Amino acid sequence: MQWQFSNDAPIYTQLIQQVKVGIVTGAFPPGERLPSVRDLATEAGVNPNTMQRALAELERDGLVYSQRTAGRFVTEDNTMINTAKRSLAERHVKTFLEAMLRLGFQRDEIIDLISKELGEEEADHASA
Amino acid sequence: MPVLECKGLTKRFGRTAALDEVSLTVEPGRIVGLLGPNGSGKTTLIKLANGLLTPDGGYIAVCGTAPGRESHSLVSYLPERTAIPTWMTARQLLDFYGDFYQDFRREAAEEMLDHLGIQPRQAVKQMSKGTREKVQLIMVMSRAAKLYLLDEPIGGVDPATRDYILSTIIGNYNPEAAVVISTHLIADVEKVLDEVIFISQGRVALQSTVDDIREEKGMSVDALFREVFKC
Amino acid sequence: MLRKLLKHEFRATGRIMLPMYLILLVTAVGSNLAGRGMLDSRFDILNILGVLIVIAFGTAITGACLLAFVLMIQRFYKNLLQDEGYLMFTLPASVHQHIWSKLIVSSVWFIVTVLAIIAASLVVAYQGGFLREFLDFLRYFLEGLRKLKVSEAFNGTIYLVEFAVLMFLSLVAFSLQFYAALAAGHSQANHKLLWSVVWFFGIQFALQFAGSLLIIASNKLNVFDRFFSHWDPSPTVAIHVGLLMAIGCVIVYGAIFYAITTFFLKKHLNLE
Repeated sequence: MQWQFSNDAPIYTQLIQQVKVGIVTGAFPPGERLPSVRDLATEAGVNPNTMQRALAELERDGLVYSQRTAGRFVTEDNTMINTAKRSLAERHVKTFLEAMLRLGFQRDEIIDLISKELGEEEADHASA
Repeated sequence: MPVLECKGLTKRFGRTAALDEVSLTVEPGRIVGLLGPNGSGKTTLIKLANGLLTPDGGYIAVCGTAPGRESHSLVSYLPERTAIPTWMTARQLLDFYGDFYQDFRREAAEEMLDHLGIQPRQAVKQMSKGTREKVQLIMVMSRAAKLYLLDEPIGGVDPATRDYILSTIIGNYNPEAAVVISTHLIADVEKVLDEVIFISQGRVALQSTVDDIREEKGMSVDALFREVFKC
Repeated sequence: MLRKLLKHEFRATGRIMLPMYLILLVTAVGSNLAGRGMLDSRFDILNILGVLIVIAFGTAITGACLLAFVLMIQRFYKNLLQDEGYLMFTLPASVHQHIWSKLIVSSVWFIVTVLAIIAASLVVAYQGGFLREFLDFLRYFLEGLRKLKVSEAFNGTIYLVEFAVLMFLSLVAFSLQFYAALAAGHSQANHKLLWSVVWFFGIQFALQFAGSLLIIASNKLNVFDRFFSHWDPSPTVAIHVGLLMAIGCVIVYGAIFYAITTFFLKKHLNLE
């Protein structure tokens, strides 16, 4: 897992996002046990208390659940994972749109650009 | 009970006050950054906590006692310079720490030395500067102390060593102990810290948690530091 | 804790002193061989070699004395007042224990060095008939002792003991004077070594001055006439009194140096 942090947001919120991404992309598969707080913190190079706080938040959301002694597990509830996936996607789209509008693009121009880009990618795939 | 507590702590060198009425507390389980430009009083504070200097005013306590013999067995100190005798071999160093500190976890230290490929018969003298700093850090972090005082642990080492040092600190985290890291290289340690204490010209300029700073100011601690200490 | 400090102090110094004693022994054996014909051999090369070995033995004796002395200063300076001081003064040990560990170990090396030099000299002197001669000497010496009166033998032994104690305590006080000067000099922010030298001679001067004042004062007040006018000791007793007073003085000197050392290490430690 790649951990990357920006400078403008609290670290624990960024950790929540990144663990979510890990769950959605299957780096942390459903039903699997998560590494310990200490191991995750060491891997991400962050403070263990901050990691703990992020995981506690994820637990409140239900994406992660803990079993007394065995540790923390990723949820097996696929609808919940899909919801998380969708909300992550919506965030990306939102920031993308904001950036495009700031550049002065109109809605139909944006759609045009996207379909063109997707078409080119398809062509690339076909030729490859 | 706080692991480190200062009230009105003052230390003068000649006429200049290196520390001026410093009051702060560090609770167990916290990794705290002691941040300030060079000469702001960070090392003076750490030396006072180690009993290497005596205060001119105010009060300092480690685990409830004034720095001295008793507190030395609770504090694990990484000085800003290489203090381990260079004639010793890695094994003699392990003997030394094992003899003097009851909380020294020899197996943990041996494992970390082994991981770095350091032979027990190798003398400190024969090691590179970076390796010496790593060895010294291994000795310090292998103790099950109540308070770790790390003075500039990442100053003057290459980025790979820096990562190694920081992950060693995180890997040895103990919820009953506190870690104080003094540094001016904030961007590198920011993610590792719970709390930061800004020291400026011998005074505490700010004590806050990293995420509170990021949440309230919308900027990293590093950016805030640059703003506070703008020349 | 003192025991542990002593253990590591012996470890740190033994690695230097023991090889030195080995050199002493090797050159002593060499000199012994040189004495058995090498020096008056017909071959120039053997002559020269013999002379060189004897010179090496002489140098080794000087070297061992010098080394014990330098090590006494260097261990205190380097281990406590330089970078290693950061490690040593944060051990769960007291300042007193640090001073005693240094003091005991350097005293032991002083004594061992003297014994090693005596042993090496015996090795050099050892000839075919040496052992018999030595035993003869001992027998002669013991017979001489037997002829002495009990009181003479008794007093002689006590003199020797008193003299040995005086020598030993002088060495300890001598070491402590260096410790005091180094500890005081290193409480300064800059020019620490220069200040140490100033302190060394400053202490020396102050004590001599105080001593002179004491003598002048006791003369002026006629202390001797007042208290000792009726005291007329025999020469035997006078020598005892003299030696014991010397021992007393050395102890006072040592105690002053010790107090200065602990004061500066406890209250004014100022590592660079």
